[in-house]
Amino acid sequence: MSQPPITDRIKQFLVEHFPSARKHPLAEDEHLLANGIVDSLGILDLVAYLEREFAITITDEDLVPEHFESLSRMAKFVQDRMSVSSH
Amino acid sequence: MDFLIHHMLGASARRLPEKEALVHGGQRLAYAEVARRVGGLAHGLREAGIERGDRIGIYLDASVPQALSMFAVSQAGGVYVPVNGLLYPDQVAYIARDCGMKALVTTPEKLGPLAEALKEVPSLEFLVLVGSSGLIDVPLAVHDFEALCGLTPPAPWPEPTIEKDLAAILYTSGSTGKPKGVMLSHAQVVAGSSIVSTYLRISDQDRILAVLPFSFDAGMNQLMTAFQQGATLILINFVFTREVVQTLLRERVTGLAGVPTFWSLLSQPTSGLQKQPLPHLRYITNTGGAMPQPVLATLRSALPSTEIFLMYGLTEAFRSTYLPPAELDRRPTSMGKAIPNTEIMVVNEEGKLCKPGEVGELVHRGPTVSMGYWGHPELTARVLRPNPLLPPEIADVVCYSGDYVKMDEDGYLYFVGRRDTMIKSSGFRISPTEIEEVLFRSGRLKGAAVIGVPDEMLGQTIKAFVVARDGEHVDAAQLREFCAASMPRHMVPKAIEALDELPKTPSGKVDYPALRRREGL
Repeated sequence: MSQPPITDRIKQFLVEHFPSARKHPLAEDEHLLANGIVDSLGILDLVAYLEREFAITITDEDLVPEHFESLSRMAKFVQDRMSVSSH
Repeated sequence: MDFLIHHMLGASARRLPEKEALVHGGQRLAYAEVARRVGGLAHGLREAGIERGDRIGIYLDASVPQALSMFAVSQAGGVYVPVNGLLYPDQVAYIARDCGMKALVTTPEKLGPLAEALKEVPSLEFLVLVGSSGLIDVPLAVHDFEALCGLTPPAPWPEPTIEKDLAAILYTSGSTGKPKGVMLSHAQVVAGSSIVSTYLRISDQDRILAVLPFSFDAGMNQLMTAFQQGATLILINFVFTREVVQTLLRERVTGLAGVPTFWSLLSQPTSGLQKQPLPHLRYITNTGGAMPQPVLATLRSALPSTEIFLMYGLTEAFRSTYLPPAELDRRPTSMGKAIPNTEIMVVNEEGKLCKPGEVGELVHRGPTVSMGYWGHPELTARVLRPNPLLPPEIADVVCYSGDYVKMDEDGYLYFVGRRDTMIKSSGFRISPTEIEEVLFRSGRLKGAAVIGVPDEMLGQTIKAFVVARDGEHVDAAQLREFCAASMPRHMVPKAIEALDELPKTPSGKVDYPALRRREGL
């Protein structure tokens, strides 16, 4: 059985673990950091989830807002890292 | 003579007009510019209907407008009420109703989800919006923040306010459930700035990075000390602690204040703190709970030339104690001694001074003791009481902290515990009652009791014990989800355990100590 798209899997995690992600349906390009949906503590959980769920390694240098600011950015980042590790 | 909050800004603007006052991302404002915009906004607020003593809410994230608004409300003769940008619409509306808020400064983005709840705030007359506003569904007058900042105030500026007048209300969680507003006068805020800048030796050479919210007394104090001394305050919205470290470096920050959770995050390897010498960083301060010893050790090795000040304060008395950095080796677990011009007493149940080593309640006497809780004279009377050590003929009011402490032979204090059951997690004071109320609202429970469980990162995490109503089944995940839909993240219980019944005291109350013992505490 094929996995749901990366975006949906991340969205599911956000909705389950971040209360403010449930206030309205999350748009793929919605700003999660600037809108306070993911805070400085939550980002640690999120990074740990991405590493576990997608079997990728996220380095210190990857920890910049650009990679995490929206669902679509995160999906792209995860996709890039997955293709790196599969080579 | 400088005796009101905005006088501190005025004096620095006269002395150092071209000096950088506020930095936020690419925005850099000199003191003269800050004072000019604050003057315009103050005039705009008066024109819009603000009168002496009116309460004005400031519901913004860390930003230049947030800092300007506080000083402008002061200059207009009003009372500013900083509301944490993370609060939910119902909580904001509660605060607005509680203090009889006349105006609210916010953004169109924040107003959207809030508009419905604000209809239940009859005192609210107008909004000041930062940023362009589209269609807004509120039956209120709306003013544009930038337009008001551009106004020219009349000269001379009529100013009936005196230092004894109420200047600010800071909302803090109380043991009875709903948040309570702690009232601070101009004199108390100005005294807090003078005292803290004395022992931190803050000058116009300092560049202070503000990571704590201005709705929190220590965060507000950073803004006040910076403007009083003509220092530069740098604002930041961050998610990654790497951004904090990079800002410390780029802005050549000399002073930084945080709460234990912040320091725990900053001492993680991912922050890059350990890789990066920060020779400009003159001091850091911790408040809002004890700094975990491993974190303290990491910070000391990563910041060998930075002085570390451990501080303690409660909003009701603004700021209370600090540990001089030179004492850190000898007494790393101490909360220090009284701040300047302040007397800290350890008092037993009979109202007598405790001997060294004896546990008693911390009682604070000095110019930063607050005016009490807005609208709650009975609660105020419990916290602000006559000085037990002076004859009753001398009407002297002191602040009973509710914190149990002991003092060593040299007068240094050590924290023992909270008198009540307040939980402190990630810098927030959280009332168990408030969480229990939400749990009960699920309709599935007949019993709920919440305690704090020690946690190295957060200070404490929240554990809930629940008892299902007859015929109901408790699903912990469902209950957490219900909580998460009704409360901010920091209030949602991390663990929920179902019990057949809650332990009770002989008088029928929930036996919290028994629950804590269950957790091995």
